[in-house]
Amino acid sequence: MKLKILPPSLRNPKRYISFEAISGVPLSRDEVISLVWEASLNFHGECKTSKFDLWIMKVWSTKLSHDKYIIKGIIQCNRGEVSSVRAAILLITKFRGKQVVFHTLGISGTIKAGIKKFIKLEN
Amino acid sequence: MFFDFHVHDIQLAGEAKRLGYRGIAFIQSSENECKSNNINEIKDDFKIFSGIEIYAKNPEDLRKKVQKFRGNKDVVIINGGNIKINRAACEDPRVDILAHPYKNRRDSGINHIIAKKASENDVAIELSINSIIKTRLSLRAKILSQFRQILKLQRKFQFPLIITSNAYSIYDLRTPEDIIAFIDCLEMTPDEIISSLSKNPMNIIEKSKIRKNVVVKGARIIEQDD
Repeated sequence: MKLKILPPSLRNPKRYISFEAISGVPLSRDEVISLVWEASLNFHGECKTSKFDLWIMKVWSTKLSHDKYIIKGIIQCNRGEVSSVRAAILLITKFRGKQVVFHTLGISGTIKAGIKKFIKLEN
Repeated sequence: MFFDFHVHDIQLAGEAKRLGYRGIAFIQSSENECKSNNINEIKDDFKIFSGIEIYAKNPEDLRKKVQKFRGNKDVVIINGGNIKINRAACEDPRVDILAHPYKNRRDSGINHIIAKKASENDVAIELSINSIIKTRLSLRAKILSQFRQILKLQRKFQFPLIITSNAYSIYDLRTPEDIIAFIDCLEMTPDEIISSLSKNPMNIIEKSKIRKNVVVKGARIIEQDD
Protein backbone atom coordinates (compact mmCIF):
# COMPACT_ATOMS: atom_id res chain seq x y z
CA MET A 1 0.00 0.00 0.00
CA LYS A 2 1.27 3.45 -0.90
CA LEU A 3 1.99 5.85 1.95
CA LYS A 4 -0.29 8.83 2.30
CA ILE A 5 1.46 12.09 1.30
CA LEU A 6 2.62 14.22 4.22
CA PRO A 7 0.75 17.48 4.85
CA PRO A 8 2.69 20.55 3.58
CA SER A 9 3.53 21.69 7.12
CA LEU A 10 5.44 18.45 7.75
CA ARG A 11 7.32 18.31 4.43
CA ASN A 12 10.92 19.50 4.20
CA PRO A 13 11.22 22.80 2.35
CA LYS A 14 12.88 22.26 -1.04
CA ARG A 15 14.87 24.31 -3.51
CA TYR A 16 15.45 23.54 -7.18
CA ILE A 17 18.90 24.13 -8.69
CA SER A 18 18.83 24.62 -12.46
CA PHE A 19 22.13 23.59 -13.97
CA GLU A 20 23.83 23.28 -17.31
CA ALA A 21 26.59 20.81 -18.12
CA ILE A 22 28.96 21.13 -21.08
CA SER A 23 30.31 17.73 -21.98
CA GLY A 24 32.25 15.89 -24.67
CA VAL A 25 29.74 13.00 -24.56
CA PRO A 26 25.93 13.06 -24.22
CA LEU A 27 24.78 12.46 -20.65
CA SER A 28 21.61 10.62 -19.70
CA ARG A 29 19.68 11.23 -16.46
CA ASP A 30 21.22 8.16 -14.81
CA GLU A 31 24.72 9.34 -15.70
CA VAL A 32 24.02 12.81 -14.27
CA ILE A 33 22.71 11.14 -11.08
CA SER A 34 25.88 9.08 -10.66
CA LEU A 35 28.12 12.12 -11.39
CA VAL A 36 26.35 14.38 -8.87
CA TRP A 37 26.14 11.71 -6.16
CA GLU A 38 29.77 10.67 -6.58
CA ALA A 39 30.95 14.29 -6.41
CA SER A 40 28.86 14.97 -3.32
CA LEU A 41 29.94 11.77 -1.56
CA ASN A 42 33.60 12.46 -2.32
CA PHE A 43 33.52 16.07 -1.19
CA HIS A 44 31.06 16.07 1.73
CA GLY A 45 31.03 12.41 2.74
CA GLU A 46 28.09 10.10 3.43
CA CYS A 47 26.87 11.82 6.60
CA LYS A 48 26.54 15.31 5.12
CA THR A 49 25.22 14.11 1.74
CA SER A 50 22.34 12.43 3.58
CA LYS A 51 21.15 15.87 4.71
CA PHE A 52 20.84 17.19 1.15
CA ASP A 53 17.91 14.98 -0.04
CA LEU A 54 19.40 15.04 -3.55
CA TRP A 55 17.12 14.19 -6.45
CA ILE A 56 17.64 14.81 -10.17
CA MET A 57 14.22 15.89 -11.43
CA LYS A 58 14.68 16.14 -15.16
CA VAL A 59 17.43 16.42 -17.78
CA TRP A 60 17.35 17.93 -21.28
CA SER A 61 20.20 17.25 -23.70
CA THR A 62 21.12 19.23 -26.83
CA LYS A 63 24.00 18.86 -29.25
CA LEU A 64 26.11 22.00 -29.60
CA SER A 65 28.74 20.77 -32.07
CA HIS A 66 30.15 17.38 -33.11
CA ASP A 67 32.09 16.96 -29.87
CA LYS A 68 30.19 19.22 -27.48
CA TYR A 69 26.84 18.61 -25.81
CA ILE A 70 24.86 20.88 -23.50
CA ILE A 71 22.81 19.15 -20.86
CA LYS A 72 20.37 21.20 -18.81
CA GLY A 73 18.52 19.91 -15.80
CA ILE A 74 17.04 20.49 -12.37
CA ILE A 75 18.33 19.14 -9.05
CA GLN A 76 16.09 19.07 -6.00
CA CYS A 77 17.68 19.58 -2.58
CA ASN A 78 16.82 20.76 0.93
CA ARG A 79 16.46 24.50 1.46
CA GLY A 80 19.45 25.10 3.75
CA GLU A 81 21.88 22.98 1.71
CA VAL A 82 21.91 24.79 -1.65
CA SER A 83 25.45 26.16 -1.38
CA SER A 84 26.83 22.75 -0.34
CA VAL A 85 25.24 21.10 -3.40
CA ARG A 86 26.57 23.89 -5.65
CA ALA A 87 30.05 23.36 -4.17
CA ALA A 88 29.86 19.63 -4.88
CA ILE A 89 28.76 19.95 -8.52
CA LEU A 90 31.51 22.51 -9.15
CA LEU A 91 34.01 19.70 -8.64
CA ILE A 92 32.74 17.47 -11.46
CA THR A 93 35.42 17.44 -14.12
CA LYS A 94 35.43 14.15 -16.03
CA PHE A 95 33.09 11.50 -17.34
CA ARG A 96 34.33 8.45 -19.25
CA GLY A 97 37.66 10.14 -19.91
CA LYS A 98 36.03 13.20 -21.50
CA GLN A 99 35.97 16.60 -19.88
CA VAL A 100 32.71 17.88 -18.41
CA VAL A 101 31.81 21.05 -16.53
CA PHE A 102 28.70 21.91 -14.50
CA HIS A 103 27.44 25.49 -14.11
CA THR A 104 24.55 26.53 -11.90
CA LEU A 105 22.02 28.64 -13.79
CA GLY A 106 19.90 29.64 -10.82
CA ILE A 107 17.89 28.63 -7.77
CA SER A 108 14.09 28.50 -7.70
CA GLY A 109 11.32 27.49 -5.32
CA THR A 110 9.37 25.51 -7.91
CA ILE A 111 10.25 23.37 -10.92
CA LYS A 112 7.97 25.46 -13.14
CA ALA A 113 9.79 28.71 -12.24
CA GLY A 114 13.18 27.02 -12.78
CA ILE A 115 12.24 25.88 -16.28
CA LYS A 116 10.75 29.25 -17.19
CA LYS A 117 13.55 31.44 -15.80
CA PHE A 118 16.71 29.40 -16.27
CA ILE A 119 16.25 26.37 -18.51
CA LYS A 120 14.28 28.41 -21.11
CA LEU A 121 13.10 25.52 -23.26
CA GLU A 122 12.37 26.31 -26.87
CA ASN A 123 8.68 25.73 -27.69
CA MET B 1 31.24 42.85 -10.29
CA PHE B 2 33.54 39.82 -10.46
CA PHE B 3 36.94 39.42 -12.10
CA ASP B 4 39.07 36.43 -12.96
CA PHE B 5 42.72 37.45 -12.95
CA HIS B 6 44.34 34.23 -14.13
CA VAL B 7 43.10 33.08 -17.54
CA HIS B 8 45.59 31.59 -20.00
CA ASP B 9 43.54 31.79 -23.20
CA ILE B 10 42.08 34.99 -24.63
CA GLN B 11 39.37 32.93 -26.40
CA LEU B 12 37.83 32.34 -22.96
CA ALA B 13 36.76 35.99 -22.69
CA GLY B 14 33.38 35.24 -24.32
CA GLU B 15 32.69 32.29 -22.04
CA ALA B 16 33.76 34.29 -18.95
CA LYS B 17 31.39 37.09 -19.95
CA ARG B 18 28.53 34.57 -20.37
CA LEU B 19 29.21 33.15 -16.91
CA GLY B 20 28.88 36.58 -15.31
CA TYR B 21 32.39 37.98 -15.00
CA ARG B 22 32.98 41.67 -15.70
CA GLY B 23 36.61 41.24 -16.70
CA ILE B 24 39.53 38.87 -17.02
CA ALA B 25 43.31 39.18 -17.05
CA PHE B 26 44.84 37.30 -19.96
CA ILE B 27 48.04 35.88 -18.50
CA GLN B 28 50.99 34.91 -20.66
CA SER B 29 53.98 32.95 -19.49
CA SER B 30 57.30 34.79 -19.14
CA GLU B 31 58.92 31.82 -20.93
CA ASN B 32 56.96 32.16 -24.17
CA GLU B 33 55.42 35.61 -24.22
CA CYS B 34 54.08 36.68 -27.62
CA LYS B 35 54.03 40.35 -28.41
CA SER B 36 50.49 41.61 -28.88
CA ASN B 37 49.86 45.29 -28.45
CA ASN B 38 46.11 45.60 -28.30
CA ILE B 39 45.12 43.29 -25.49
CA ASN B 40 43.52 45.95 -23.32
CA GLU B 41 40.01 45.94 -24.69
CA ILE B 42 36.67 46.97 -23.33
CA LYS B 43 33.69 45.37 -25.06
CA ASP B 44 30.23 46.12 -23.64
CA ASP B 45 31.62 46.76 -20.15
CA PHE B 46 33.71 43.58 -20.27
CA LYS B 47 37.37 44.34 -19.59
CA ILE B 48 40.40 42.34 -20.68
CA PHE B 49 43.67 43.15 -18.93
CA SER B 50 47.11 41.96 -19.92
CA GLY B 51 49.28 40.07 -17.52
CA ILE B 52 52.41 38.01 -17.21
CA GLU B 53 53.19 34.96 -15.11
CA ILE B 54 56.84 34.96 -14.15
CA TYR B 55 58.65 31.67 -13.71
CA ALA B 56 61.81 32.53 -11.79
CA LYS B 57 64.71 30.23 -10.94
CA ASN B 58 65.90 32.31 -7.97
CA PRO B 59 65.14 35.68 -6.29
CA GLU B 60 67.70 37.51 -8.45
CA ASP B 61 66.12 36.14 -11.64
CA LEU B 62 62.70 37.14 -10.28
CA ARG B 63 63.79 40.77 -9.73
CA LYS B 64 65.25 40.96 -13.26
CA LYS B 65 62.07 39.58 -14.86
CA VAL B 66 59.80 41.84 -12.80
CA GLN B 67 61.89 44.85 -13.91
CA LYS B 68 61.56 43.72 -17.54
CA PHE B 69 57.77 43.17 -17.59
CA ARG B 70 56.42 45.64 -15.01
CA GLY B 71 56.16 48.61 -17.38
CA ASN B 72 54.02 47.03 -20.09
CA LYS B 73 51.67 44.69 -18.20
CA ASP B 74 48.67 45.45 -16.00
CA VAL B 75 49.11 42.39 -13.82
CA VAL B 76 52.37 40.75 -12.76
CA ILE B 77 51.98 37.27 -11.30
CA ILE B 78 54.76 35.20 -9.78
CA ASN B 79 54.54 31.44 -10.05
CA GLY B 80 55.03 30.38 -6.44
CA GLY B 81 55.84 27.12 -4.72
CA ASN B 82 59.51 27.61 -3.88
CA ILE B 83 59.88 29.21 -0.44
CA LYS B 84 62.66 31.59 -1.61
CA ILE B 85 60.55 32.71 -4.59
CA ASN B 86 57.50 33.15 -2.34
CA ARG B 87 59.45 35.38 0.01
CA ALA B 88 61.15 37.41 -2.75
CA ALA B 89 57.76 37.95 -4.43
CA CYS B 90 56.16 39.20 -1.23
CA GLU B 91 59.09 41.54 -0.55
CA ASP B 92 58.77 43.23 -3.96
CA PRO B 93 56.09 45.97 -4.15
CA ARG B 94 56.12 45.76 -7.97
CA VAL B 95 54.57 42.30 -7.81
CA ASP B 96 50.76 42.13 -7.89
CA ILE B 97 49.97 38.47 -7.20
CA LEU B 98 51.83 35.47 -5.81
CA ALA B 99 50.17 32.48 -7.49
CA HIS B 100 49.67 29.17 -5.68
CA PRO B 101 52.43 29.50 -3.01
CA TYR B 102 51.37 26.02 -1.75
CA LYS B 103 52.17 24.24 -5.05
CA ASN B 104 54.05 20.93 -4.59
CA ARG B 105 54.49 21.61 -0.88
CA ARG B 106 53.38 19.99 2.35
CA ASP B 107 52.83 23.36 4.06
CA SER B 108 50.99 26.40 2.70
CA GLY B 109 54.20 28.11 1.49
CA ILE B 110 53.33 31.16 3.60
CA ASN B 111 54.53 31.81 7.13
CA HIS B 112 54.05 34.79 9.44
CA ILE B 113 57.12 36.59 8.00
CA ILE B 114 56.03 36.21 4.37
CA ALA B 115 52.45 37.15 5.35
CA LYS B 116 53.67 40.34 7.01
CA LYS B 117 55.77 41.25 3.96
CA ALA B 118 52.81 40.58 1.63
CA SER B 119 50.66 42.86 3.74
CA GLU B 120 53.28 45.65 3.78
CA ASN B 121 53.89 45.49 0.03
CA ASP B 122 50.25 44.85 -0.96
CA VAL B 123 51.05 41.60 -2.75
CA ALA B 124 47.91 39.48 -3.21
CA ILE B 125 48.09 35.76 -2.48
CA GLU B 126 46.21 33.64 -5.00
CA LEU B 127 43.97 30.70 -4.21
CA SER B 128 43.50 28.79 -7.44
CA ILE B 129 40.24 26.89 -8.02
CA ASN B 130 42.02 24.86 -10.69
CA SER B 131 44.28 23.23 -8.10
CA ILE B 132 41.13 21.96 -6.33
CA ILE B 133 39.20 20.73 -9.36
CA LYS B 134 42.22 19.03 -10.96
CA THR B 135 42.95 16.95 -7.84
CA ARG B 136 41.02 14.24 -6.03
CA LEU B 137 40.47 12.83 -2.55
CA SER B 138 43.56 13.01 -0.31
CA LEU B 139 45.44 15.53 -2.45
CA ARG B 140 42.34 17.75 -2.62
CA ALA B 141 41.94 17.51 1.16
CA LYS B 142 45.59 18.55 1.54
CA ILE B 143 45.11 21.61 -0.68
CA LEU B 144 41.93 22.59 1.20
CA SER B 145 43.91 22.42 4.43
CA GLN B 146 46.61 24.64 2.86
CA PHE B 147 43.85 27.11 1.87
CA ARG B 148 42.69 27.15 5.50
CA GLN B 149 46.24 27.87 6.71
CA ILE B 150 46.50 30.81 4.29
CA LEU B 151 43.09 32.09 5.43
CA LYS B 152 44.18 31.95 9.05
CA LEU B 153 47.26 34.06 8.28
CA GLN B 154 45.19 36.42 6.11
CA ARG B 155 42.84 37.15 9.03
CA LYS B 156 45.81 38.05 11.23
CA PHE B 157 48.00 39.99 8.79
CA GLN B 158 45.33 41.32 6.40
CA PHE B 159 47.22 40.77 3.14
CA PRO B 160 45.02 40.86 0.01
CA LEU B 161 43.63 37.52 -1.08
CA ILE B 162 42.51 36.73 -4.61
CA ILE B 163 40.56 33.78 -5.99
CA THR B 164 41.18 32.85 -9.62
CA SER B 165 40.31 30.01 -11.97
CA ASN B 166 43.76 29.51 -13.57
CA ALA B 167 41.78 28.39 -16.63
CA TYR B 168 43.23 26.91 -19.82
CA SER B 169 39.90 25.87 -21.40
CA ILE B 170 36.14 26.36 -20.93
CA TYR B 171 36.11 23.25 -18.76
CA ASP B 172 38.19 25.08 -16.12
CA LEU B 173 35.90 28.11 -15.79
CA ARG B 174 33.18 28.21 -13.10
CA THR B 175 30.50 30.82 -12.43
CA PRO B 176 31.35 33.35 -9.68
CA GLU B 177 28.27 32.22 -7.69
CA ASP B 178 29.47 28.60 -7.75
CA ILE B 179 32.92 29.69 -6.58
CA ILE B 180 31.32 31.70 -3.76
CA ALA B 181 29.30 28.60 -2.73
CA PHE B 182 32.45 26.46 -2.82
CA ILE B 183 34.62 28.90 -0.85
CA ASP B 184 31.77 29.21 1.66
CA CYS B 185 32.60 25.60 2.63
CA LEU B 186 36.03 26.86 3.81
CA GLU B 187 34.25 29.04 6.39
CA MET B 188 35.17 32.27 4.66
CA THR B 189 32.82 35.14 5.44
CA PRO B 190 30.78 36.63 2.54
CA ASP B 191 32.74 39.91 2.85
CA GLU B 192 36.06 38.08 2.50
CA ILE B 193 34.82 36.18 -0.57
CA ILE B 194 33.46 39.28 -2.29
CA SER B 195 36.65 41.24 -1.66
CA SER B 196 38.81 38.41 -3.05
CA LEU B 197 36.71 38.11 -6.23
CA SER B 198 35.90 41.76 -6.77
CA LYS B 199 37.54 44.41 -4.57
CA ASN B 200 41.13 43.14 -4.59
CA PRO B 201 41.30 42.65 -8.42
CA MET B 202 39.97 46.20 -8.87
CA ASN B 203 42.58 47.52 -6.42
CA ILE B 204 45.33 45.84 -8.48
CA ILE B 205 44.14 47.62 -11.62
CA GLU B 206 43.83 50.97 -9.80
CA LYS B 207 47.37 50.51 -8.49
CA SER B 208 48.61 49.61 -11.97
CA LYS B 209 47.14 52.82 -13.40
CA ILE B 210 48.91 55.15 -10.96
CA ARG B 211 52.12 53.12 -10.69
CA LYS B 212 54.03 55.24 -13.23
CA ASN B 213 53.54 58.37 -11.11
CA VAL B 214 54.52 56.82 -7.79
CA VAL B 215 57.90 58.06 -6.57
CA VAL B 216 58.05 56.18 -3.27
CA LYS B 217 55.32 54.43 -1.32
CA GLY B 218 52.80 57.07 -0.28
CA ALA B 219 54.05 59.81 -2.65
CA ARG B 220 53.12 60.28 -6.30
CA ILE B 221 53.38 62.97 -8.95
CA ILE B 222 50.04 64.57 -9.79
CA GLU B 223 49.82 66.07 -13.25
CA GLN B 224 48.48 69.61 -13.13
CA ASP B 225 45.64 70.47 -15.50
CA ASP B 226 45.97 73.75 -17.43
